Amino acid sequence: MHWRAVGHAYTDRKMAGKRAALKAIDWLAFAERVPPNQRAMFNNLKTRSDAIGAKLSSLPEKPVTIDWSFYKTNVARAGMVAEFESKFSALTIPEPKDTATAAINTQEAEANKAAVAYVEASKARIGQYEKELEKFQNMIPFDQMTIDDLNDTFPETKLDKEKHPYWPHKPIAEL
Amino acid sequence: LGAGLVQLAHLHTSPNSQAPVPALPEKGGKTRHGIIPEELFQILYPKTGVTGPYVLGAGLLTYILSKEIYIINHETFAAACMGTVIIYGVRKFGPDVAAFADKLNEEKVQKAQEVKDLAMTSLAQAIQDEKKEQWRAEGRQMLFDAKRNNVAMLLETNRRERVHMVTNDVKKRLDYQIALQTLHRRMEQEHMVNWVEKNVVTSITPQQEKASIAKCITDLKVLAKVQQAKTTA
Repeated sequence: MHWRAVGHAYTDRKMAGKRAALKAIDWLAFAERVPPNQRAMFNNLKTRSDAIGAKLSSLPEKPVTIDWSFYKTNVARAGMVAEFESKFSALTIPEPKDTATAAINTQEAEANKAAVAYVEASKARIGQYEKELEKFQNMIPFDQMTIDDLNDTFPETKLDKEKHPYWPHKPIAEL
Repeated sequence: LGAGLVQLAHLHTSPNSQAPVPALPEKGGKTRHGIIPEELFQILYPKTGVTGPYVLGAGLLTYILSKEIYIINHETFAAACMGTVIIYGVRKFGPDVAAFADKLNEEKVQKAQEVKDLAMTSLAQAIQDEKKEQWRAEGRQMLFDAKRNNVAMLLETNRRERVHMVTNDVKKRLDYQIALQTLHRRMEQEHMVNWVEKNVVTSITPQQEKASIAKCITDLKVLAKVQQAKTTA
């Protein structure tokens, strides 16, 4: 499966040196956790990540080696090759600066906070649902109920005798 | 009034008041002949046996008729007729009407039951969905890992591009020098060859040309003579 192959390719690419190693991402498990209304965003992320990975793997890691001895013997201009060689070996290429990781980290912190709040609210909701479920489970069966029992169990069935003092104690439209 | 208040305070204090309410009765009390409660027969049975209540009824009837506590008049006949019709009607149509009423009640109860079942299933489903959403939220780590990966990959790509660019440029310049040199050499070569050719051609003066042609002719004559000698010999 194409995705699994790409996943392995990611695990093989470990960076040497100071750069952070790439973490292996299980796209299948990730895809399971995505809610349906965010699927389009997830697909975009995946295509972008795949494109970036493909671009990275298309570039060889080491650059082409320059055969200095050949150039030294063949180039007529005096000192040019030697000058080039010295300058080239002295050259250090500045590494590109990482500006985005900090933003990502702050995003992550915020998302964590939001997620914790959401989980708390979700637990409160679950508690509420469970209480109502318990009420339904402990209810007496309908054919054993009197009207008073019905009004106790479902307060919305209680007829408001102050608002509608005359029978049927509710608007005609609701009969 | 004080004594009454004391009695009032003892209401609903016995443990019996906490006992669960007995179930609602399905049918009304048992009656004999439709009117007289069965309990009367049970109460009188130990003292008077099976016929007791009937004897009591007959005696009461005789008493109220003979003492003219109840007087027979026109109304009596009207009551008898109406009673007959009513009892006939109830006996004939009672069960159907009862079944109809029961069906109405049954529908109400069924509707309520459906509402209850729906509520219970939807609550259970809601609890499941909430748990699923919590599980989904746990996976938020992966999004940020993916983003950081992307950033790292882009940086690495950029670095590689820079390195490649540098080496390729240096190589291009050196290759250019070499190509320039080879071009020069080739042009010099060609030019020299052309120049030598041109000089040789111009150095052949007309006099030399005539002399060389004459020499060629004499050589040819000699060759012809030798050839003739060969063929005749």
